[in-house]
Amino acid sequence: MTSATAKPPLTERLEPYIAIIGPMVMILAILIFMGIAEPARYFRATNLNLILLDAALYMPMAMAMTFVITLRGIDLSIGSIAALSGILMAFLIKQYGFSVYVAVPIAIMLGALMGLLNGLIITRFNVPDLIGTLAMDLVYRGFALVLAKGLVLARFPDFLTDMGRGQIPGFVPIPVLIGTATMIAGYILLTRTYFGRYTIAIGSNPEAAELTGIAVNRHKVYAYVLCGACAALGGVMLTGKLNAIQATSAPYFNLHVIAAVVVGGTSLFGGRASMLGSFAGVLLLSMMINALVTLRIEFFWQSVASGVVIVSSVALYAWMQKKDRDGAGGWLAGLGTPDGQKMLRFSAALLGILIALLAIGAMFAGSPNPSG
Amino acid sequence: MSDPLVKMRGITKRFGGVTALANVDLAAYAGEVLAIVGDNGAGKSTLIKVLTGVYQPTEGEIFLDGQKVDFASHAEAIERGIDAVYQTLALADHLDPAANMFLGNELTKTVFGVPILDNKRMRSETERVLMDRLGVTLKSLDAPTESLSGGQRQAVAIARAVYHEGLRVLVMDEPTAALGPQETARTLKLIQTLKAQGLAVILISHSLDDVFEVSDRIHVQRRGQCVGRVVTAESNTQEVLGLIVGAEEAA
Repeated sequence: MTSATAKPPLTERLEPYIAIIGPMVMILAILIFMGIAEPARYFRATNLNLILLDAALYMPMAMAMTFVITLRGIDLSIGSIAALSGILMAFLIKQYGFSVYVAVPIAIMLGALMGLLNGLIITRFNVPDLIGTLAMDLVYRGFALVLAKGLVLARFPDFLTDMGRGQIPGFVPIPVLIGTATMIAGYILLTRTYFGRYTIAIGSNPEAAELTGIAVNRHKVYAYVLCGACAALGGVMLTGKLNAIQATSAPYFNLHVIAAVVVGGTSLFGGRASMLGSFAGVLLLSMMINALVTLRIEFFWQSVASGVVIVSSVALYAWMQKKDRDGAGGWLAGLGTPDGQKMLRFSAALLGILIALLAIGAMFAGSPNPSG
Repeated sequence: MSDPLVKMRGITKRFGGVTALANVDLAAYAGEVLAIVGDNGAGKSTLIKVLTGVYQPTEGEIFLDGQKVDFASHAEAIERGIDAVYQTLALADHLDPAANMFLGNELTKTVFGVPILDNKRMRSETERVLMDRLGVTLKSLDAPTESLSGGQRQAVAIARAVYHEGLRVLVMDEPTAALGPQETARTLKLIQTLKAQGLAVILISHSLDDVFEVSDRIHVQRRGQCVGRVVTAESNTQEVLGLIVGAEEAA
């Protein structure tokens, strides 16, 4: 031990703030980079508004997903729940003449019911969270397609478009207010209520939670209901934002929201929750995607960038949270070990085969034959 | 000696065809440490699980304060003042000590008619119980429990048990198994403290050193039966070891 015992090492002292430092550093990096590359277009008020508008859509879902992930669950059905509840609401308004003030709460309740179904499937039938919600994603998406076919339902009352893209003059957009409010509510829920406390306890140590008399399955169901309701709210906001909804809407809600939560430092292994981190994670992803657009990088690179951000931030947390760092000696040190050597040879062999195949292909290549 | 605080009489527990406990008697007194020793599979854990209501005995009776009791669940045993601290401690490591101490039993205050967790009061209560009852000060009450040492985590688990005002019998299952020498010494001191407060402490341990240092009486289990009860001060490691492995093998 070389470091003084009076002061714990820096990484240990930073640990409580780890969740918020990660996304903050990356947000700062984007700000600095864009400050150099495209300051005029990126920092324009209208563009910042755009970033917030985009982020707001994901805030309610990220809030709810934080709870689900904290208790070692995952919800892969929020995109479909958003689309299906949005479409059901649209039908109620357009075809059955329901008042929008009733249709919106109905949509959210429908989402809550779908979440309840998810939760019951997971807890009563012992279907693993991943499989259960993935399968229900197909079910909800299927219903949306059956109901709406290829139809695009559009042009909704002002109340709905206000929820999705309304602006308070001289202030922030209305969806930003909604999103921030749900985030604050989520923070209070997490730190000040039985539900939040038990969510962390269950994720941290399910056996201990059970032993202290906590109703583990009931609280799991609560989390999925919250997730379903927030997904429906996301669907409502999306409908309002686009002033249209169709069965294939919201295809990448799942991964975007999970990415935001994980980037924000909530652990996929349960027990570690950060609402502030999820908020920062949502902002980070929206800022990054906006930056790519501002830089006129092709849309399809967004997927690459999102993946890289997720992997690097999760790796960063894993590294910072590793308790026993001595003896490991950095991630390159593993190359020297016999097992590392084997891995290296294995990777080299894979690459070699690929290169050989490419060479063979190039050698025998005929004239290009365009498809179509 | 006065009447025992808790008495188990003729306890038999069968799991299908396997007899884990056969006609075991046990008595524990207030203000005393009773050690239960025995080899693996001797029935120590089953015995305390019957006592703490986790298992129900196939035959036999349990008396608390001379009154017959039947525990249908662990929660019922806790309510009557019998609790256990397990080797795994059953702590949620990501929560702070106060949250762990009150887990499943949180203190709340009402804000606009809604119950809200009273984190401040739980924190001060935790500090008080740790200090007054166990004489322990944690290095930090805000950090997650996982950042505490093994001994301190154990103190939190014990604090959770003793916070219940009605606690009279505390079972400790292998409390020192995962601890270093210094922490072991501290835990043994903690056991003395609890004994001095009038609790009946039942200690399950593989370490005869610990048992001889802290216990008043020793109950030896072998193959599901009680094969000996000795007063610690009048016995020695050799004798107890002989009882544990069986006289014929030891001879």
